[in-house]
Amino acid sequence: MVAEQLIEDIRSSRPGVEVKEVPYEQRGYWFDLSTGPEDIEEVARLFDRHGYYIEDVCCVDFKEYLQLVYHFNHWDDPRRISVRVNLSAEDPVAPSISNVYEGAGWHEREIHEFFGVHFENHPNLSYLFLHEGIDFYPLRKEKVPVPEEKKRLLSSLPVSESDDVFFVNMGPQHPSTHGVLRLILKMNGEYIERAEPVLGYLHRMQEKMAENRTYLKYLPNASRLDYVGAMSYNLCYVRAMERLCGIEVPPRAEYVRVIAVELNRIASHLLWLGTYLLDLGAFTPFLYAFDDREQILDLLEGITGSRLTYCYCRFGGLYNDVDEDFVEGVKAFLKRMWKRFKIYNDLVTGNVIFIHRTRDIGVIPKEVARRYGVTGPNLRASGVSYDLRKAEPYGAYRELGVEVAVGEKGDALDRYLVRLQEMENSLRVIERAIKELPDGPYRTEVKKLKPPEGDVYFAVEGPRGEVGIYIVSDGSTTPYRLKWRSPSFSNLTCFPEISKGVLIADAVSILGSLDLVIPEMDR
Amino acid sequence: METRGPIIRFALLEKVLNLARANSLWPITFGLACCAIEMMCAAASRFDLDRFGANVFRPSPRQADLMIVTGTITKKMAPAIVTLYEQMPSPKWVIAYGNCAISGGPFVFEGQYNIIEGIDKLIPVDVYVPGCPPRPEALIEGIIKLEEKITGWRRFPVAERRW
Amino acid sequence: MRGVLGDFLYVLLFFLVAVLFTIVPVVISLLIAPRSRGLKTDDIYECGMEPFGSAWIRYSVLFYLYALIFIAFDVDVLYLFPVATSYVKGGRTDEFLSLLVFLLLLVLAIAYAWGKGVFEWRREGR
Repeated sequence: MVAEQLIEDIRSSRPGVEVKEVPYEQRGYWFDLSTGPEDIEEVARLFDRHGYYIEDVCCVDFKEYLQLVYHFNHWDDPRRISVRVNLSAEDPVAPSISNVYEGAGWHEREIHEFFGVHFENHPNLSYLFLHEGIDFYPLRKEKVPVPEEKKRLLSSLPVSESDDVFFVNMGPQHPSTHGVLRLILKMNGEYIERAEPVLGYLHRMQEKMAENRTYLKYLPNASRLDYVGAMSYNLCYVRAMERLCGIEVPPRAEYVRVIAVELNRIASHLLWLGTYLLDLGAFTPFLYAFDDREQILDLLEGITGSRLTYCYCRFGGLYNDVDEDFVEGVKAFLKRMWKRFKIYNDLVTGNVIFIHRTRDIGVIPKEVARRYGVTGPNLRASGVSYDLRKAEPYGAYRELGVEVAVGEKGDALDRYLVRLQEMENSLRVIERAIKELPDGPYRTEVKKLKPPEGDVYFAVEGPRGEVGIYIVSDGSTTPYRLKWRSPSFSNLTCFPEISKGVLIADAVSILGSLDLVIPEMDR
Repeated sequence: METRGPIIRFALLEKVLNLARANSLWPITFGLACCAIEMMCAAASRFDLDRFGANVFRPSPRQADLMIVTGTITKKMAPAIVTLYEQMPSPKWVIAYGNCAISGGPFVFEGQYNIIEGIDKLIPVDVYVPGCPPRPEALIEGIIKLEEKITGWRRFPVAERRW
Repeated sequence: MRGVLGDFLYVLLFFLVAVLFTIVPVVISLLIAPRSRGLKTDDIYECGMEPFGSAWIRYSVLFYLYALIFIAFDVDVLYLFPVATSYVKGGRTDEFLSLLVFLLLLVLAIAYAWGKGVFEWRREGR
């Protein structure tokens, strides 16, 4: 298989790399490679040659040394491989792999501004998230001040003057950026020459907060990362801890979790539908989509207690049990929702204006998607059938199974059709789960959460793509390091590439079709 | 920021103008974080803000008179908020919606480096709506309270406590 | 007055009403609206950020062509207004045909511009 071939190639070309096999059920990845900083670029090239995509780049501060952790995964052979590089704490320097995997460029910028690691040969190592005036590296364990010569990297706008170009701010306060995303567009007339996203307007220090809160107290934070698809984040965090501590979850809880997550997925896609069409100028689908979404929110409010940011999944099961009202409500909702798709298809899918605004706009080729780490419906619209619910099944998906919607070309129209199809597939999964809902306890009692030392990676398929979490635990009740792999961040990295030379009206369409939620990017 | 009142003032004119302003508040599209979704739900089909005249969301601050600050305010975003507030023409009002806009919300912890604890440290606030996130009905109550602040009388009577 | 100006009295009245229509709301709002001014009130609105870079650049010639065609057809519509008033009296076929020929010549101009691709905006610039 691909992983074994890759490891043979690495062993033959760079024998200094140690390869360890790791139990997947406890750690979440299959192989663990440790290498020095001089070999990492060659190792990344080997990964690229074998068709791996970059999942996440993370840094952990173990006070005597810093450790960079790269996660790679493959569409056909979904066995995750981690690569670790140890750097010294006083002067951390590492070569950048953004010449091989362009998607790692932004991850490296983030690691630079939070930890102070300098990446050589990086095309643009400037600040991404933090505001001007910050003079220490926030995620280090002790307060390390920024040295004077690095302070010029604070500003991230390379401004060049030319006769024909002018700069437009598609700024933080904009109706079409779906949150506080700032795009600096270098325009030539009506065409975009370069689009430079500036993030950090909603950086809420989620990862630093994790080191100040116990595992239980961090639960509300997890769902505020992606408030539209909050159930997936909640599930990801809880399952990661269950994997780390080895907690068994009763089957009834697994089935109800699946039902809640799929309902949340439909709600998230409905919100995307409403706001995307609002960007394109259609006001009516917004009202219809929000009406459907309110039905789902009523159901979820009945069991979880909140409309938007859920803490329903707890360690070992659920917060409380579902009753007959919920089951009857879900059945009524299913019957109603199946009829609503006809409305959406009649209103939107055949509309000439809609097709003209989305066909052949923002095509993401497969190679671009692989090197930037694009996942989720954006990837499936480009023709790659990769869905984590099928590739790495977790929870009740092992028994229920899921149908995967795949597109052809990768333009905005395909992304729209894939998401509509995903809503229908979610309805089918909910039908099966409601029919086979087992009886039993809804929670295993967890007296005290005492995680062992070690690290764990867990990934679920959220509405936007692969939601991953990497937790390093040192045996105490607070996490040592918690890193979120957010799908919108990886999806946005490909935006400067695919928006070269498009009209600005098409850029709005592309941005909407990528389905971004800003707080999970800014964390 | 300096404000001066109108040149011609008399009571009947003020009453009529305040009634007109209160019943046609035009909010600026200013969603920052999770509370923005609840604001969108309040503007959508079930909890309709159009019945109060407040569903004309203007993207440009020069055409808006109500700023509903929904979501956490970070230090990077703070200058933009102040700029937008100053670019709104008078008379203008501010609703602080959600815990983050009132006092920093759930993101205040020891050693926090990036958020501003409450929007009233930057701009003057008229109505505070607490919750995390508050329900859309709470936003409607906030707008009714703002209307009461502008005109002096309340549109719907307050619900009686039954417990 | 009527003897000197004749029918142009109505034009004068129309002109006065138009001027008042624009000036009176501005004056009313100057008198009864409160004013506030901050540091950034007069800045150009750019989504809350400082605008940078120059705005005096060379624009694509397509914008100029659009404006030119608009001006030409605006004047053409202006010519049609007196025709509309005199239609009440007439209604003969040769009047209608001469008007049709006039419009046809203008349509030829549009057809030429259409064929030359003035109204096309290419999707990809580079």
